[in-house]
Amino acid sequence: MLSVRKILKTFNKGTINEKQALNGISLQLAAGDFVTVIGSNGAGKSTLLNSIAGDFLIDQGEIRIASYEITGWPQYKRASLVSRVFQDPMRGTAASMTIEENMVMALRRGQSRRLRRAISVKEREYFRGELRKLGLGLEDRLTNKVSLLSGGQRQALTLLMATLREPKLILLDEHTAALDPKTAEKVLDLTCRVAAENRLTTLMITHNLDHALSVGNRTIMMHEGRIILDLREGERANMTINRLFEMFEKASGSHIHNDRMILA
Amino acid sequence: MSWQVFSGTLEQGLMYAIMVLGVYLTFRVLDYADLTVDGSFTLGAAIAARLIFSGQNPWLASGLAFLGGLLAGAFTGVLHTKFKITPLLSGILTMTALYSVNLRIMGRPNIPLLRLRTIFSDVAQLPFMERYGVLVLSLITVLILGHFLYLFLETEIGIALRATGDNEVMIRSQGVNTDRMKILGLSLSNGMVAFAGSYVAQNQQFADASMGIGMIIAGLASVIIGEVLIGTTTIRRTILAVIFGAVVYRVIIALVLQLGLAPTDLKLVTSIIVIIALTSPGIKKRIFTRSGSRVGKEEN
Repeated sequence: MLSVRKILKTFNKGTINEKQALNGISLQLAAGDFVTVIGSNGAGKSTLLNSIAGDFLIDQGEIRIASYEITGWPQYKRASLVSRVFQDPMRGTAASMTIEENMVMALRRGQSRRLRRAISVKEREYFRGELRKLGLGLEDRLTNKVSLLSGGQRQALTLLMATLREPKLILLDEHTAALDPKTAEKVLDLTCRVAAENRLTTLMITHNLDHALSVGNRTIMMHEGRIILDLREGERANMTINRLFEMFEKASGSHIHNDRMILA
Repeated sequence: MSWQVFSGTLEQGLMYAIMVLGVYLTFRVLDYADLTVDGSFTLGAAIAARLIFSGQNPWLASGLAFLGGLLAGAFTGVLHTKFKITPLLSGILTMTALYSVNLRIMGRPNIPLLRLRTIFSDVAQLPFMERYGVLVLSLITVLILGHFLYLFLETEIGIALRATGDNEVMIRSQGVNTDRMKILGLSLSNGMVAFAGSYVAQNQQFADASMGIGMIIAGLASVIIGEVLIGTTTIRRTILAVIFGAVVYRVIIALVLQLGLAPTDLKLVTSIIVIIALTSPGIKKRIFTRSGSRVGKEEN
């Protein structure tokens, strides 16, 4: 479903701040794979996701989704294949617009937009049904502005929006990190549920080593723009958080000074 | 204030409201402070005046003024999106260029339209329209344009345009080419502004190369006044608010003139109104936390 081949990306080339963010990384995802991505800050996890989504073009390499070679596609064009949820709940929704307006934008993801009334009665009913499944009481608030929602509600809405029009690939960039622990669990449960229901191909960055092993069917660890560990099936089932932690130290050859990771 | 002064003020307010709808579209909906307005307002007046002066149909002339504004807005949009020039500078560049363009179009610094056929002289010939023709035509125009703007902002494209102003990252990730949306918004906005310019020129019966100076600030003042007085809970309400704001702004200006201030002081008064609106905490809060998006942007 997703094929990333030997991609290179350097930021601020030729300046003192030059940073090789992706260092010839390759990754293949089969349809329905749910891959968790871990790694310390600066390992290139977000850069990987952003380069797939098309925030910038890569320097070298190739990105394919399904049968499309999207390496040179602008971001808005990739939206027909990829949907994403950001860490910051503010980024995934338009605050001054209503819940139903936000949802209809997501329902038209990757389609050409026309000069016709945006929301039909039928679609409104559909939105209500989908919102009811979230169990957050949002189904009665279709015409409320999104700015009135809490961070957790907004993130749940963003997640729902990301799946309304089934994407080939969904990118989750620490999408529960900005939420309180209880809400984070709820949103993660929801993530697992919708991913399983729709058999979504998913790439999820997390800082929580427990989630990294318990969620999805495959775990990769990144360091300095490369994948240094790729766990599947039996190997993954036998992995413990402590051993994963040790492997990280060993494989990367450096000590982790990121307390977020240690405390996770 | 005598009735005559008041109805004149009302006429002006409604005519300028057409321009304010355009300013609302860029300043509020797209979150883009577009200074092209000063140039495109005059552009509309220049196109209409030149055509009317050379004997063309005034309705056609007004329509072409609208088209001229569309082009001016598109030019600013291309400067900003394709060549990555900042919003403010893109607008200033177009505005400055338009000053020369407008003089070229007119062929001289001003064109008188006395005793020529205008859209208002046409309407004045209809029954009962002799006295209130200007008022009625301006009112109908602004209501129709306001209604179309409202309908447009509720369409799929309109929603994408609003989202471009609210959260560009989000709407791009939903597959919208935000560059195109900005060019579209700037075009429509300046089209309306130029249209307003053609109305004002025909009503005052002359066009002048400097008639657009300070137009953007007058537009902002009108938008802010309307939003504070009427509120912004829905799109429909906000559009009515900015139309109302345009009228109130003209009333304030008329009152200031009645108090004995010289017309040359008006720009100062307008700036002071906007400064007060932007600095007084109560009003500021009402305007800038309206959506939450502006607050969000400051955090980023």
